[in-house]
Parts: sequence; structure tokens; C-alpha cells
Amino acid sequence: MFTRREPKIDEQELTHIPGAEPQNRLDAWWWLVALVAGVIVLLSLLQPDPYWRIILFVRDGIAITVVITVVSFILMLFVGMLGGLGRISKNRVVNLIATLYVELVRGVPLLVQLIWWYFAFPVVIQQIGKWTHISALANFHANAILLAIFGFVFCYGAYMSEIFRAGIQSIPKGQMEAARSLGMSYFQAMRHIVLPQAIRVILPPVGNEFIALLKDSSLVSAVALADLTRRGREFMSANFNPIEVWTMIALLYLVMTLFAARIVNYIERRTKFER
Amino acid sequence: MKDSNEPIIHIENIHKRFGRIHALRGVSLQIQKGEVLVIVGPSGSGKSTLLRCINQLEECTSGKIIVDGIHLDSAQNINAVRQEIGMVFQSFNLFAHLTVMDNLLLAQKVVRRRKKEEAREIALNLLKKVGIPEKANAYPYHLSGGQQQRVAIARALAMNPRIMLFDEPTSALDPEMIKEVLDVMLALAKEGMTMVVVSHEMGFARAATNRIIFMDEGQIIEEAPPDILFTSPKHERTKLFLSKVLQL
Ligand SMILES: Nc1ncnc2c1ncn2[C@@H]1O[C@H](COP(=O)(O)OP(=O)(O)OP(=O)(O)O)[C@@H](O)[C@H]1O
Ligand SMILES: [Mg+2]
Repeated sequence: MFTRREPKIDEQELTHIPGAEPQNRLDAWWWLVALVAGVIVLLSLLQPDPYWRIILFVRDGIAITVVITVVSFILMLFVGMLGGLGRISKNRVVNLIATLYVELVRGVPLLVQLIWWYFAFPVVIQQIGKWTHISALANFHANAILLAIFGFVFCYGAYMSEIFRAGIQSIPKGQMEAARSLGMSYFQAMRHIVLPQAIRVILPPVGNEFIALLKDSSLVSAVALADLTRRGREFMSANFNPIEVWTMIALLYLVMTLFAARIVNYIERRTKFER
Repeated sequence: MKDSNEPIIHIENIHKRFGRIHALRGVSLQIQKGEVLVIVGPSGSGKSTLLRCINQLEECTSGKIIVDGIHLDSAQNINAVRQEIGMVFQSFNLFAHLTVMDNLLLAQKVVRRRKKEEAREIALNLLKKVGIPEKANAYPYHLSGGQQQRVAIARALAMNPRIMLFDEPTSALDPEMIKEVLDVMLALAKEGMTMVVVSHEMGFARAATNRIIFMDEGQIIEEAPPDILFTSPKHERTKLFLSKVLQL
């Protein structure tokens, strides 16, 4: 077999070995990540006061920002998948619920939603507890981080649903039909045939959502959560040096988003395939 | 229930509407076990819709379909019925993200629940049968159309279906690849597979069957052995259609 092959074809096939594509090597944009990280390190080394002090002060804020972003993101993938499946469902009730969810959530600003979950939602639960005389509800106090995560998942889940819907619908109908004609159930066909292909279509927009979420997580500073942004504000009000604080905060967000963008880009290239 | 004289497919006066389009207008048809039935007809005459009603990719609006003794409209588990009916599509529809081998293995594993070794052996034998065992680890996009269609046939056969449906299996292929697919289908017919084939390949029809059906506007217009239908059709519409096809 191999001896009959033209060398040219061999070369073509080589480029299709997964992982061997030239674009899978670290690309030039990693230098930008390194550059920003380098600036942060350099500032902290050359002028530990205030830059290193700022970093020490806000590092628990960084942790909160990262935790909220990552946990919300993982949960919203599930919500997005369910929402997307609901949006294409032939079951009228399921379809209506999914569509209402997406349309309503997308019409309210994220900041307002976060504030609602933080300030209004616990009161709603407490009122219900009072009416129904269930003391566990009447004394409801939710963890602020959990409420923030809930708010993000609820809001971003709607956008994610649309991404999943579009991704699933981009897979030719024949794939589902071929699977069904072999006797697979709808969900088997979704799981084994449609979703694995849709993932590759969905990945770039989902990656963008992750980066947008990382930045939007700064909105929780408005609801008394000590994330990176809020810790920056606290440091500033104690030390009155807005330029240094907000430059450093901006650099910290930048290095995280640039890094995330590279990871997303890397995964995208790994999962690319031809049709 | 499964009397040997019973037709394996029994279709009685089925209608199919897509909104205002009346795609099937009272089709009745019986197909015996081991029989090969070829369907011809102009575009839009309802050939695909008829095939798709047989394996319930479309639900017919009214009428009765009995496959292997099971009434499809009351079938508890339509997936169980579909396992027995293989389907080959005009556009192949191989699973684009899976290798040829995995295309053949997946449904064997998740639907038939076969063990891996058993499924592999079945798959390899079928790939040999359709003449491309060396492509087991290739992805669909590396195969020619003819190879893809042969894999699609093997994938359907791996489920050990009792019936095979073919919807214009060669009309998306370059001329030089048509024969390799038709040869596989002919071999299958010789083995006694029950087949319903929508195809305008007259040579195949002549070699594979003595029963060919002409459809137009959602109805069966006439039925005859291929030689008679191709040379001296009874109906004007059949003549008109054949004159167009034969001109090509
Ligand atoms: N999913 C659908 N929705 C709406 N109309 C449809 C659908 N499927 C088929 N039709 C219509 O039903 C009629 C019959 O279509 P069908 O595909 O069965 O024809 P066909 O004989 O297979 O034609 P071709 O040779 O072009 O494949 C056509 O008018 C077609 O437009
Ligand atoms: Mg058709």
C-alpha cells in the first residue's frame, strides 16, 4: 500500500495527524501574555511599594474572581446545553419554557440581575417562608458567592443556550437521521453524533463567553463581594493612589484574559476537523 | 403472527402531508421477504417520503404500515423497529467525526450492545465485503464518494437488518464510482436481502429485480418487470418520464 503512494500525498496526509498541524505549536500571541506578565513582575520588583503591596492586598480578590468565573462557567455549560436542547425541542411546553427563559433573561442588564439575586431573591424566599410558616425558609440567608454564581449562571446560561442551539442546528440533519435509522434513540444520537460535532462549532463562541464572563465578574463588586475589583477599591480608599492601583488591577485582568484567550485558541485548534 | 406468506412490508393506503403539500396520496404496496423492489419517478413524486415512512423518519398522516408483523403507528418502541431496517442515503451521511471503523462500531455498541471484539470482527468482515478493509482507520473526508457510500452500506449491514432501504444511493456519485456501489448492492440482492431501492439505474434494476414501480405525484402509477416497464410502459406519464431519463 505505502509503496504505491506518491510522496506528495504522503505529505498531505502528514498534515492531518492530530496535533501535528503547524498552528498547534505555541503561537506568537503567547508573547503578549508573557509581556504583560513581565510588566507586572517588573513593576513589583522595581517598585514593591506600592505595586507588590497592591498584589498582596488583592490576591484573595483574584481568588474570588477566578472561583466565581470558573464555577459559573462550568455550570452554565450544562444550563446552555439544556437550554439549547429545549430551544430545538418539538415538545411545545419545553420549547416555550426555554424560549421564554432566553428572551426574558437577555432583556435585563446583567448588573440589575446580579443585584436582584443578591438583594431581592433572599427576601422573596423569606416572605414565602413567612407565608408558609416554614422557618428554614423564613430565616434564609444565602452565601454571597453562591448568589453571585447563581446570577451569572442564570444570565449567561441564556446566551449559552443560543450558542448551543445554533451549534446543534449547524450539524446537517442527515447526521441525526443516519443515527436514528440505525436504531439509536434521540438522546443517544445527540450524545454520540450531534453534540460531539457541535462542540467544535460551539467552542469559539463559548470561549468568548468565558472571557466576557471573566471581565463581567467585576460587576459583583457592586454587591459587596470582595473580588479583584472591590479589593482594588478598598486599597485605593486606604492609600489614595488611584493611578498605581487601577493600572495594576487592569494589568491583572489583562493577563488573565489574554491567558484565557490563548487556552481557548489552543483548544479550538486541537479540536478542528474537516468535514 | 410472522406467517411466512405474510409480506415483510405491508403498506395500505398511506397519505403524507407536509402542510399544504400532499406528498403521498394513497400508496399501497406489499413486499415479500427476500424481494428487491425498485422505485423510479420524477423529482418530488414522493419516493423519498415513501422510504422514510417505512422506517418512520417521517410519520405518515394516515394509512397503515406493517413491517415484519409490527404495526408502526402503534409500535411501542420505534427504535427497535428501526434496528431491523437499514437505510442508505443519497448523501452518505457518515458520521463525520468518527473513523470508518467507529462509524461501523457505534450503533453495534450502543444499540445492539455487542462486545467490542465481536463488533470489530463484524465490522472488519463487512469492510472486506464492500472492498475497503484498508480504510478502517480513515476519516470519511479522506474517502471518495463511492467509498463513503460503501462504508454507509456496511454500517447499515452491521446491525443485521432484515430490510434495506436505498434512497438514490448513486445519484451523488461520479460516474466511475457508481459501479462499485451497485456491485455491492447486487451482491446483497443475490444473498436474499429484502431491498427497497429508489434508483434510476436501469442496469441495476434489470439485474436485481423483476418488479419495478413508477411513482408520480404521490401515487404508484404502474408496476411491471423492468424490461416491460422500460420498453413498453402502459401510461403516458411513464413514457414521458422514461423519455426524459433515457435522454440523459
Ligand atoms: N420535510 C419536508 N417538508 C416539507 N415538504 C417536504 C418535506 N419532505 C418532502 N417534502 C415535499 O414532498 C414532496 C415529495 O418529496 P420527496 O422528497 O419524497 O420526493 P422524491 O420523489 O424523493 O424527489 P427527488 O427525486 O427529488 O428526491 C415534494 O414536493 C417535497 O417538496
Ligand atoms: Mg428523494
